[in-house]
Amino acid sequence: MKSRTMFAAAVTLTLGAAACGGGGAVSATAAAKATGPISIWYSNNAQEITWGEQMVAAWNSSHPGQKVTGQQIPAAQSSEEVIGAAITAGSEPCLIYNTSPASVPTFENQGGLVPLNDFPGAAKYIEARTGPSASVYKSPDGDFYSLPWKSNPVMIFYNKKVFAKAGISTTHPPLSTYSQFLATAKKVVSSGAAKYAIYPAPTSEFFQSWYDFYPMYAAESGGKQLVVNKKATFDSTAGQAVAAFWQQLYAKNLAGKGAYTDDPFATGTAAMAIVGPWAIATYKGKVNWGVVPVPTTKGSSGDKVPTFSDAKNIAMYASCKNRATAWAFMKYSTSIREDGKLLDMTGQMPMRQGMQQLYASYFKANPAYNEFAAEASHVIEVPNVPNSIEVWQTFRDDWSKSVIFGQESPDSALAAAATKINQLVAGGATP
Amino acid sequence: MTQTAGAAPEAAAAVTAASDDVPTIAPRVPRSWWRLIVLLFGALVFLFPFYYMIVGSLQKTANTSLSGVVPRPGNLTLHNYGQINAALNLGRALINSGIFTGGVLLATVVFGVLAGYALAQLRFRGRGLVFAFMLLLLMVPFQLLIIPLYVLIVRNYGLGDSYLGMIAPFAINSTAVLIFRQFFLQVPKELFDAARIDGASELRVLTRIALPLVRPALLTAMLLTFIGPWNEFLWPLLITKQQSMQPLTVALANYISTVSGVATNPYGAIMAGAVVLAGPVVALLIVFQRHFVSVNIGSAVKG
Amino acid sequence: MTSVTSPRPKFPPLEGELRPGTRPSRAQRLSRAALGRHPIGMLFSAPYALFIAVLFAYPLGLAVWISFHRYFFAAPGVSVPRPYVGLANYQAVLDDPAVRQAFLNILIFLVINVPLTVALSLLLATALNAVIPFRAFFRTSFFVPYVTASVATVGVWLFMFSSGGIVNHALGPLAPSPSWLINQNWAMPSIAIYVTWKGLGIFILLYLAALQSVPKELYEAARVDGASWWHRFRAVTIPGVRQVTTLVTLLAVVTGANLFTEPYLLTGGGGPNGKSTSPVLQIYQTGIEQNHPDFAAALGIILVIGVLLISGALWLVQRRQA
Repeated sequence: MKSRTMFAAAVTLTLGAAACGGGGAVSATAAAKATGPISIWYSNNAQEITWGEQMVAAWNSSHPGQKVTGQQIPAAQSSEEVIGAAITAGSEPCLIYNTSPASVPTFENQGGLVPLNDFPGAAKYIEARTGPSASVYKSPDGDFYSLPWKSNPVMIFYNKKVFAKAGISTTHPPLSTYSQFLATAKKVVSSGAAKYAIYPAPTSEFFQSWYDFYPMYAAESGGKQLVVNKKATFDSTAGQAVAAFWQQLYAKNLAGKGAYTDDPFATGTAAMAIVGPWAIATYKGKVNWGVVPVPTTKGSSGDKVPTFSDAKNIAMYASCKNRATAWAFMKYSTSIREDGKLLDMTGQMPMRQGMQQLYASYFKANPAYNEFAAEASHVIEVPNVPNSIEVWQTFRDDWSKSVIFGQESPDSALAAAATKINQLVAGGATP
Repeated sequence: MTQTAGAAPEAAAAVTAASDDVPTIAPRVPRSWWRLIVLLFGALVFLFPFYYMIVGSLQKTANTSLSGVVPRPGNLTLHNYGQINAALNLGRALINSGIFTGGVLLATVVFGVLAGYALAQLRFRGRGLVFAFMLLLLMVPFQLLIIPLYVLIVRNYGLGDSYLGMIAPFAINSTAVLIFRQFFLQVPKELFDAARIDGASELRVLTRIALPLVRPALLTAMLLTFIGPWNEFLWPLLITKQQSMQPLTVALANYISTVSGVATNPYGAIMAGAVVLAGPVVALLIVFQRHFVSVNIGSAVKG
Repeated sequence: MTSVTSPRPKFPPLEGELRPGTRPSRAQRLSRAALGRHPIGMLFSAPYALFIAVLFAYPLGLAVWISFHRYFFAAPGVSVPRPYVGLANYQAVLDDPAVRQAFLNILIFLVINVPLTVALSLLLATALNAVIPFRAFFRTSFFVPYVTASVATVGVWLFMFSSGGIVNHALGPLAPSPSWLINQNWAMPSIAIYVTWKGLGIFILLYLAALQSVPKELYEAARVDGASWWHRFRAVTIPGVRQVTTLVTLLAVVTGANLFTEPYLLTGGGGPNGKSTSPVLQIYQTGIEQNHPDFAAALGIILVIGVLLISGALWLVQRRQA
């Protein structure tokens, strides 16, 4: 027994030692100046892929020694899984054009992100492009760990045909106060024009609250983030009002509670959707849509209603060896020309100030997008706090239980969530 | 060890050819009718989803009503296959699945037979230890190990996005080793002893006597080992980042959860993918079922 | 049978077998004691042993180590503090209501799946165990779901059991609303039924093999005594396959406790209000998605201990009966 177990132990130890020693890290100072080929990932949105491919091709033709290889982000239930796993393995690409601001704290914590302030003039570049709202994207240590790239202000889409069938105005639908919205929703469903009034995904992924609670909370609270100065803000009149609103929708079956694979707005199952302009491509040819800002208790006129940005950023990752090229490419892909192309090809709003004037011709040709462009200056972002993904997951779990499935009162659920979230944000690692 | 066979999973699963002999008293007529009815109903329940899978994959627009069970000529199309192929590159994904499964089969057959034989017929230091670990391995969920394994294989050994990395944790299927062990346990020891007395080296005993005998168990073990990697999608999902390396299970799973919403007939496209994934296995089963059910290891179940 | 024609070697043969008519030398005795009679067995089993050591024992050990420390994944080369925290992770796991819900879900699953599996597979195996037309067809048909990849069969079940799917059409007003997999009360039972359907094939085969070894004389005797089919079944068949019943139960329990693929694919992320989540799904979510491998490892260890305890109990019950 002894010699065999010793043999086994020896093997394990050697391999273990080898295992612990492996994995090369990249020296930051050397890499910051290095140029050469890099790889990037973009999202798996079809229009973005098209934009990405033409951009990469254009760069490659003028920068032969610094070839960029682009591919779609590997598909999974969430991009955080994929990126997190890749960071752990050291196999992530230089740039990812799909970095959610909510994951930046996690990736930063893992040591997976390169602070962009390492590059001379980077902070200025970012602030010049995006304007003062860029400061929201700074990490607690004051550095930018991602470049704010594009936003998709979340608004309410409505199906004009369904509304017409239900006898609701398609040019000025009454959707700006909660009571108006609820009344319209009831009318749509009871008239049989659609099965549901609105149908955001009721599943429990941590990011789903960005498409039901958060845009409306932004509007109702006048632009407050979920967490400000390390304190949860939603356990308040505004938060409770939003929760009560959604609870009514679910309780009266105006919003569906079951998961789905195909888009209910696109198939006509739901009369409205709460989503950003990226979805327009999905609706083309299927739905004749109109768009209005999200409702608030009191209602407001015009497009100054705050909402959620649903922004995606570009980040540079730690395994990148040729960081100088990567930074140059980041600037290239967010130049005035490429931003314009992004707008043109995908309909998503680049986070560039003065966008409406710069690309006036586009907005003239596509007047519906003016709404989004106007909203783009009134968006709020997810808070850049430690454990941010867990914060959102905790919120979502409590929201699900109370608002969607009615097993608890929303007020107490919000209070419970706020307590847990305050702990998480303070740096506690409670699950 | 009589009780160890108790833990033998899929291992002890085949039926003897001799099972074709029948009770000598002819069953009364009503009895066999009941049998047939029960079996037919069972077969229907088992096979209907597969029939429906094929029908669904050929529909132009998803027809989920009862009448949709019968394919309507006007609603038939191969478009779904085209759509999912455009999204996934079915051929490439199938090849990846094939290489993954083939690699596991090879390693299991080569090293598993050796280990099974050694565990059954040879006495050596550490035999009990290896056997105990094998049983433990069968009980521990893979997902517990997935995290350290991931770091080990991708970071430390640098095998991310490679076939070797995909195959490694599944390389030698412990169920197969169990099958081989059980099989060799039943072979009379005298067979080997006689050769040893004649002066044959252990190696020769293995190659001249043990290996030729093992063929029936081999097929069973291979068929059961095949199902593991063919079915597996979590590990390749983690290991492969490039679409060109993903096996069909991963590609299809991702398609179901993310992209399918934008297809014209989402369920149809999913069904098409499912048919492509299920097809080769069912075909293999039908071809090999004669061999598969003619191996007698019923005694392994007793033991 | 081959025979060796080379001259007898001077040193004791490695195989350790006695040559007829010789006494084992001291060296031989010692070597046999230390390495066993057939040390070459170590060589044969070495690749497998290495595989187990590197790809099972080491990760398992690491998982145990992780469960006692504060641990999250960092990029290569980045060093982060990994303090020892004793049983804190285990405490967190046991306190978490979502985990308790997951274990409850698995209990519901097992209560439905295991008896159903045992009963159906025995019945179908008994039905198959006779001369009937198309026997090979039936045997094959029961095995088809088992050999098909879960992703494929899940796809068709999602299609059939969706809100507007064929099952609900067939049931008409009896269809549960909300539909099966998104219904809090039906999600886990739906998964249990699906897994039973999918896995039955292998258990039928196991029982078929066992039924072969029940002596036919016992059936004859019972029939001569005038026992009806049901009595014969209860008195002869069930006791006769007792060992396999234990095996089937054990397998079903182990597979059920480690359920991952079905909750992941059928109800993506825990189902309605977490009612179809499983512990292993939570290991995946907390370990990989949320980057809390310390919590995940503790949960996994608790699960393994639970499975070992149940298996051990079943084992002992069977031993006592035998």
